Amino acid sequence: MQFRDYYQILGVAKTATADEIKKAYRKLARKYHPDVSKEPDAEKKMKEVNEANEVLSDPEKRAAYDQVGQGYRPGQDFQPPPNWDAGFEFSGGGFSGVDMGDASDFFSQLFGQAGARGKRSSHYQSRGEDHHAKIVIELQDAYAGATRSITLQAPDVDAQGRVFTKEHVINVRIPKGVKAGQHIRLNGQGSPGFGGGPAGDLYLEIQFRPDARYRVEERDVYETVPVTPWEAALGASIEVATPSGNVQVKIPANSQSGRKLRLKARGIPGEPAGDLYLLLEIALPPADTEAARQLYETMARELAFNPRSKMGV
Amino acid sequence: MTITAIVIDDLQLDLADLAHSCGVSQEWVVERVHAGLLCTPMNPGQVRFTSAELTRARRLRNIERNFDANPELAALVVDMMEEIERLKGQINRIEDNCVDL
Repeated sequence: MQFRDYYQILGVAKTATADEIKKAYRKLARKYHPDVSKEPDAEKKMKEVNEANEVLSDPEKRAAYDQVGQGYRPGQDFQPPPNWDAGFEFSGGGFSGVDMGDASDFFSQLFGQAGARGKRSSHYQSRGEDHHAKIVIELQDAYAGATRSITLQAPDVDAQGRVFTKEHVINVRIPKGVKAGQHIRLNGQGSPGFGGGPAGDLYLEIQFRPDARYRVEERDVYETVPVTPWEAALGASIEVATPSGNVQVKIPANSQSGRKLRLKARGIPGEPAGDLYLLLEIALPPADTEAARQLYETMARELAFNPRSKMGV
Repeated sequence: MTITAIVIDDLQLDLADLAHSCGVSQEWVVERVHAGLLCTPMNPGQVRFTSAELTRARRLRNIERNFDANPELAALVVDMMEEIERLKGQINRIEDNCVDL
């Protein structure tokens, strides 16, 4: 386990006052805010910053950290001495900046252990914390449902009361009909409970892997379909690949580029199901052979078509 | 081990679940519901929360906590985040149909 220099993470001196720590934290919280930040790894950085603030803004935790961390450099291998936290009491409660599922091994070792011990000693019984994460799935998974393996890292407590980070793989069955931004819940997959209380839950926020073929709004799906000029002009029955498989679509005669065809209830399933919109895009064959050039020249001569008549030219 | 996930919306969260999920007290949620900051005020006995409201509650909590912001200010920031998301969606739609000259 590597030592984490929380002072370095917040960019403050070891002698920083509580006010300086708060200012530094707020500045970084703004810089790495996951909903706003353009920084790469903003979410990961925000977790580190939250963790550092959780320790340094709490006088008890900061004092304990200062004592145990004396002489360590960032990244150096670290093991806390046995009973290092004797004499400290971590009350916790209220707002906690760190979801234990997000906590580093280093934080869990130091403060997970002390927190669990404190809570057990008072015969306190409570439900474990819920964890939150994001899961990226394909749009097709929302149509058919899917099973995904995910690896969870969760702090656990052994028989001696020591906290360790345990990795376990679970298969998640994602029901069909989920939308981007929606949460799904895995009961009992959060932090273990205290004093015999039930475990917390794991919430996963659904995101679709970006796919240039599709644009999704709630349960409606938009797909651009290239068609030939003669299919658009004369009408045609064409085969289109959609997220739910290939379908035969009738293109009405005299369709223009941008025409929207709606396939009812072929969007993401649900109550009500979304619709699938096909946006026609007329693809011109290149005039790169003598025969092709002649066909275009014939059209130019015979059709007398001015697409800019509304511009008055 | 295979676990079937529950879609929050098919099953909506009750007050206790929402509060626990956000790591806040139930009073914290009730205050924000009554003030109209989290969702439309409703009868406390019938309060149920959607996925979107879970996202909103977690954002409110983060802004309040990270910046010691008062609830109204945090709600204003979250309103703006939601508006930015909506506008980004519109930009994507426009860019889909846009060709640089």
